[in-house]
Amino acid sequence: MPIVVKKLSFTYSAKTPYERKALNNINLQINEGDFLGIIGHTGSGKSTFIQHINGLIKPQEGEIEIFDIKLTPQKRPKVNLRALRSQVGMVFQYPEYQLFADTVEKDVAFGPKNLGLSAEEVSSRVKEAIEMVGLDYEAVKDRAPFELSGGQKRRVAIAGIIAMRPKMLILDEPTAGLDPFGKEQILNLIKYLKTHCSPTIVVISHDIDEITRFANRIVVFNDSRIVYDEPMQQLFKHSIQLQNMGLDIPRAVKIANAMRDRGVDLGDDIVTAEDLMAAIVEKYNEKHGTQIDKNACVFDMYDFSQKWLTSEERAALEGENNLQKTEEEKPEKSGKNKSKTKRSKKSKE
Amino acid sequence: MAVQLDRVTYSYNVSDAYRVDALKDISLHIEEGTFVALVGHNGSGKSTLAKLLNGLLLPTSGEVKIFGNSTLDPDKIYDIRKSVGMVFQNPDNQMIASIVEDDIAFGPENLGIEREEIVRRVEWALSKVGMLEYRKLTPFKMSGGQKQRLAIAGVLAILPKILVLDESTAMLDPKGRSEVLKVAHELNRQEGITVIHITHFMEEALNADRLIVLDSGKIVFDDKPEEVFKHYEELKEVKLTVPWETQLAISLKRVGIDIGEGIVKDEELTDRLCRLL
Repeated sequence: MPIVVKKLSFTYSAKTPYERKALNNINLQINEGDFLGIIGHTGSGKSTFIQHINGLIKPQEGEIEIFDIKLTPQKRPKVNLRALRSQVGMVFQYPEYQLFADTVEKDVAFGPKNLGLSAEEVSSRVKEAIEMVGLDYEAVKDRAPFELSGGQKRRVAIAGIIAMRPKMLILDEPTAGLDPFGKEQILNLIKYLKTHCSPTIVVISHDIDEITRFANRIVVFNDSRIVYDEPMQQLFKHSIQLQNMGLDIPRAVKIANAMRDRGVDLGDDIVTAEDLMAAIVEKYNEKHGTQIDKNACVFDMYDFSQKWLTSEERAALEGENNLQKTEEEKPEKSGKNKSKTKRSKKSKE
Repeated sequence: MAVQLDRVTYSYNVSDAYRVDALKDISLHIEEGTFVALVGHNGSGKSTLAKLLNGLLLPTSGEVKIFGNSTLDPDKIYDIRKSVGMVFQNPDNQMIASIVEDDIAFGPENLGIEREEIVRRVEWALSKVGMLEYRKLTPFKMSGGQKQRLAIAGVLAILPKILVLDESTAMLDPKGRSEVLKVAHELNRQEGITVIHITHFMEEALNADRLIVLDSGKIVFDDKPEEVFKHYEELKEVKLTVPWETQLAISLKRVGIDIGEGIVKDEELTDRLCRLL
């Protein structure tokens, strides 16, 4: 069981005129393999909560157990924070603002170095992490982080966390501020990391249409409490309550609800665009006597497949696919990476 | 003509031998009072274009004119900066004073305006963005949406004729985004301010008069939003999307369920679907 939180409460500036309760009796269990989404409006307590999980804030009341490390209000025994932070990787909002070293390699090495690993171990982890986030190690390692594009910088920042090989990753608004294509790249990276690096993932996001594309479970914070903790498919039965809290509901749910109000009921199980389209097709078949396959609809809004990419981007993407493939067929890896380097150099010329 | 770009090219020096054209031979005219949405993927040249509008950057070739004044004319640059107000992405980087009204007064104070006039302008600007009740408070603990509205008020106090929002909604939550967008549309309608709104969110372009799409330093679309969103494939090619509702209609049409073209808003989508089913 990676994380068990019991009766956690936290108050900012206690016993001053600015006293504000940020967490109120939080009980939560995060299981290994969870792809957990956390939603809640600004100030609902979700950031305070995740700061507890990697020991940035010490509990005032209640306790947290994380991979056998116990966080309690007591001063002793002393908590091994280094062990905790190597197991729970935290990617803050706009992590690229925290890049500080003069080369990509040094920046990514900062975390593992601080874990006290040997120089060889550090450099092999750095190489692995940079490749894992889909960047070409040889091409970027000696470059200054600020020379890279926004999306690339964010990948470097994530590589710095991955290099510590955390068992669990927490990402706060990982796609904020990126264009649609950059968002897709980061989302695909998160999915990739879940299978290849950190099996448990927690994502905080304001974009409900994004979160419903991958989360299997959603926790809702409101007024410093957890008000819902449900499997993704179940949560939007509470869509009226969620909207009253000032939270967005998925567009597909909004459309289905509006249609129900006008007398067209498509059923209760609609969350994603695919769900909505399947229900529409079924209804259409019923009414018009057609035989359209309800799974034939493809919602490819987010699909920036190879067709749309420039040759350089396609090369980069192929590199990523090769990396995934070569997890099984190791020997090919070095050869393909080389050819990728050549190609990207060529296209620059 | 509020904004006039004539064959503008802007190139950055990456190294001594290597130059990158951020904007390539762009010509663009924007009439006073227009609400323009400007979209494009990262690196398409949007922010470069924004910085050319008030002379923060000067064109490598070509000319940028604001109400007829060229940004290349050193005698006019202060007039231009007074008429083009810019609000940037990060709400935390744009506050300078610890009290809201001091912050709003900063601009007019620097223009040497009389105290009574400053007081009037601060009050007017704050009421325009719906923040008058916060005038004596500190901006640092406010939400992102509130901070960006204050940043807009700070610009309004200089009485600009053109407001440029350079990804000012990018770092905000959905509520903050809609607050800022609402204020921008009100300023456009009520005060006749020309708004140039740079964004990654396609749905923020829906109520604009014009949607301009940039790619690799060139204008690839310049039309009414609903017209631009008909070009689904071309938008994908420049790494952008159509609104969710438009995509849904397109996906349904592919399997033979045609609910019509030009759907961009959720009410339209609901309406067409209900009529069909």
